[in-house]
Amino acid sequence: MTAHCLETHGLTHRFGDHKVLSGIDMQVPAGSIYGFLGPNGAGKTTTLRLILGLLATQEGEIRIFGRPLAHDRIAILRNVGSMIESPSLYDHLTAAENLRVLQLVHRCPESRIREVLDLVGLADTGRKRARQFSLGMKQRLAIAGALLHRPSLVILDEPTNGLDPHGIIEIRNLLVELNRRDGCTILVSSHLLSEIERVATHVGILGRGQLLFQGTIEELRRHRQEVLSIRVTTSDNGEAMRAIATDGVSAQLVDGEIVLSALTRERIAAINRKLNAQHLDVYEIRSVRNDLETIFLNLVRE
Amino acid sequence: MTASFVHAFHGEWLKRKRSFASTLVVGGSLFTPAIIIAVRLLHHRGLAPIYAKPGFWQELWRSSWESMAIFFLPLAAILATSLIVQIEFKGNAWKQVHALPVSAAVIFLAKLAVILIVMAKFLLLFNAGVFLAGIVPYGLVRGVPKPAGTFFDLPLVRENALYFVDALPIVAAQYLMALRSPNVLVPIGAGFMAWVAALASISSGYAIWWPYAYTTIHYLQDKPKGAHLAAFTQLHWLAAATFVALTAIGYVLFVTKKEKG
Repeated sequence: MTAHCLETHGLTHRFGDHKVLSGIDMQVPAGSIYGFLGPNGAGKTTTLRLILGLLATQEGEIRIFGRPLAHDRIAILRNVGSMIESPSLYDHLTAAENLRVLQLVHRCPESRIREVLDLVGLADTGRKRARQFSLGMKQRLAIAGALLHRPSLVILDEPTNGLDPHGIIEIRNLLVELNRRDGCTILVSSHLLSEIERVATHVGILGRGQLLFQGTIEELRRHRQEVLSIRVTTSDNGEAMRAIATDGVSAQLVDGEIVLSALTRERIAAINRKLNAQHLDVYEIRSVRNDLETIFLNLVRE
Repeated sequence: MTASFVHAFHGEWLKRKRSFASTLVVGGSLFTPAIIIAVRLLHHRGLAPIYAKPGFWQELWRSSWESMAIFFLPLAAILATSLIVQIEFKGNAWKQVHALPVSAAVIFLAKLAVILIVMAKFLLLFNAGVFLAGIVPYGLVRGVPKPAGTFFDLPLVRENALYFVDALPIVAAQYLMALRSPNVLVPIGAGFMAWVAALASISSGYAIWWPYAYTTIHYLQDKPKGAHLAAFTQLHWLAAATFVALTAIGYVLFVTKKEKG
């Protein structure tokens, strides 16, 4: 297996005249949990549909397990499990029957049906038909279907949509366990960073059809330092801004606070002394470290 | 390819289990025989002369096929095909089907094979129903003579096979439409309109060019009111050719669809 389980090169897609993806170069390392983040409408589902061949590739290339999807689609799909958007289930069939349909096509042992039902906590649903399932149960059954044939790559599009907090935690734990135990690569999309940062080893952030960031979760966290800002509140912010400006430091007034770009501790102390010398009362000086959520929002808004 | 088809077919067959299409097939196929049994039991006093006729089974066979050929068989083809395809749309499952490691050809053919077998089952159940329509009143009503000959003297295989072939163009046309219509009312509505048009066309010489009319033409060909249809001697070949042509068009449209699921 190559270092990257999944790679896209210059993936571009249009719906009519509207370009929804522009030159996506995605690299999903083998054995990783790759969080594919982006706001609704960013192009996540379109990317995943292209990766599964549900949409014809217009421009660019997709390689999975080192093989081009365009030529080896069926062989590749034997090792891929997926759940795209809402669960695909046959309402009139039971959970086991739904999985039996997939098991026949994948030609995996029938015993796997019981195993995956146990894994997702649906082993006791018996003769209950899928139409009687809650959304969370349907979601878990669809995930069971994606895992049935022990795929090397699992692609899950917003798998926790509609789940309650308990269900979200269950799915999260399941993904981590699968990754650790079976070593399978998991590509999971979401519009919520908080959900992804708890499980992902790697992150790709998509915004306006472009891949804005790609790297490890640690690399994303390091962005904190780069976007550090200082906030100052004084008895007269207008006067304080003029004083700060004479030192060549750019300052902005935001929500009643003076916002300064990243500064060294010495410069912050010098500004404090200057404001005191001008008889301005300094109520607060604090550094603001952007959390991952803010980094994500900044990236997709830029 | 063959193994892949067999497994895909098995999966498709499982999907039809407990579906509305399956219920409809059973109900539709047994409707006419059930009515015959009910009517004969209600009018049991007049049964003896009917059962004493030398051509009892032929008469029963002909009268049973009237509603079947004109009404139930075309409608079963319209409804069963549309509803079986609709299972995927209803379950939001086309995307799952297309993400499985099977070719589009296998998906297309496996589902079509299920529809054809469901149609064959429809005819088989109808035959069983006609048999029961013959023997149940005889067994229940005292004084009714045993009919001459047996049900199995009828040209069962030939007639069923020909009606099956005549219904194939409807299956292919419905399959083509159903694969492209997330809303099941579209293929069903279009199918109903095509069937009404077929009935309207029967009195004209153009009925032969309307695939939804073939089962009706077949039934009427040797009847006095269908004398003008007797000239269509190649009906079954035309039905088979239309089925192949419509299936080919349906396949091309299916595999070239830009967005799958």
